[in-house]
Amino acid sequence: MLKVRIIPCLDIIKNKVVKGVNFKNIKVLGDPVHLARKYSDNGADELCMLDIKASHEKRKTFLKTVEAIAKVIDIPLTVGGGVSDIKDITTLLNAGADKVSINTTAVLNPNLIKISSLKHGSQCIVVAIDGKRYGKKMLVTIKGGRERTNKTVVSWAKNVQNLGAGELLVTSMDTDGIQTGFDKEMLIAINKAVNIPVIASGGVGELKHFKEGYKTRSTGLLAASVFHTSKFSIQQVKKFLKEEGVPVRI
Amino acid sequence: MKKKVIGLIDSGSGNIGSIKKSISNIIENKPYQLQIIKTKKDFNNIDKIILPGQGAFATLMENLHKKNLYTQLLKLIKELSIPYLGICVGMQILATYGYENKKIKGLDIIKGEIIKFKKKNLIIPHMGWNTIKLKNKNIVFDQTTDLKDFYFVHSYYFKGVNSKNVTATTKYSNNFPSVVNIGNVYGVQFHPEKSHKEGSKIIKNFIFKS
Repeated sequence: MLKVRIIPCLDIIKNKVVKGVNFKNIKVLGDPVHLARKYSDNGADELCMLDIKASHEKRKTFLKTVEAIAKVIDIPLTVGGGVSDIKDITTLLNAGADKVSINTTAVLNPNLIKISSLKHGSQCIVVAIDGKRYGKKMLVTIKGGRERTNKTVVSWAKNVQNLGAGELLVTSMDTDGIQTGFDKEMLIAINKAVNIPVIASGGVGELKHFKEGYKTRSTGLLAASVFHTSKFSIQQVKKFLKEEGVPVRI
Repeated sequence: MKKKVIGLIDSGSGNIGSIKKSISNIIENKPYQLQIIKTKKDFNNIDKIILPGQGAFATLMENLHKKNLYTQLLKLIKELSIPYLGICVGMQILATYGYENKKIKGLDIIKGEIIKFKKKNLIIPHMGWNTIKLKNKNIVFDQTTDLKDFYFVHSYYFKGVNSKNVTATTKYSNNFPSVVNIGNVYGVQFHPEKSHKEGSKIIKNFIFKS
């Protein structure tokens, strides 16, 4: 039976793992290579790392971090943040990423999804969707949630599936960082609309939230702070899920 | 003492980084060396072959033909019985035919066809960790590998394989052959190079025991 994937996410600035997307009070949580190795050894099913303050001059440092992490883990690695064209995707794959996540660029240039999935295979193209509520509508936002678009998360999810994306990484800007649980409504709506794997992201604060995420049909459950601050270990999450009858790799 | 040579085929479709790293770690300080195979002459003095298939079935077959690797590969596997480990699409091309994008002939070493998972509303690709159930033991897949989890990413599976060539099966909507074997030839649908310690054990068994 297919197991649900527990995926720690490393948000990276200048070769440091930092907390969240709030740029004002950046809190350093650890060394990326050290944490990556720890998570891989403790039973993480995949690892995600994001260049959250992607800038041209810092890109080389980030690529070195990707290479260093790829060397010490033997689980799949998804890398995102600051991907602007097919060259960036190829560079990240060559640096050791197994999958590359594209977000803002996918919205601005949907053709990149098509070109990159044809070139490298759908399995390594992840489209990250940052959703946020405006009234009753759940809309796609870009540039780290700072800019709204007129696309609904559901129509965009269907669209990127058709363009060849192999997976979705869905973050709700309404639940991200506040540890009240995943955005079940958003995840269920997207999972109903597509048949590619969905990674749920944003909002984990308690063990039960992982089970709630699984119930939305998402096959990957991503969390950051709860792991970096050692609130929970990967094994603790898996043990809890197993006892709750959710299939996990122990 | 002459080192044994592990040939890793770089067909040009997809990234061989992780498997290269796995093999290098495994053979470090051991009487083995790694040879990347890009042209026909790179096959000289090869003791074992690993083909880490990525991308589509058709692309891989076309690349093997284009790079003039096809004939020599078949000769080494079939006539000289060089041990072969095919990973993912590297396993799938062992089949008679593949149907990814179009019908295309495979190496026809293990009879069967590569077809897409069909069930309605099934999440495709089959992506993540899943269990293998041993059906026939061999030196690469011994009892300790039974019921272990490995990392899969694929939308197509091997159908119609003779049960004696099915080493293990995995369930995703239906039971499909996740490991196949005929003599010196092994094929795994999952990615041992991304399957942590259990995966590394498979590569070790292939390199040191087959």
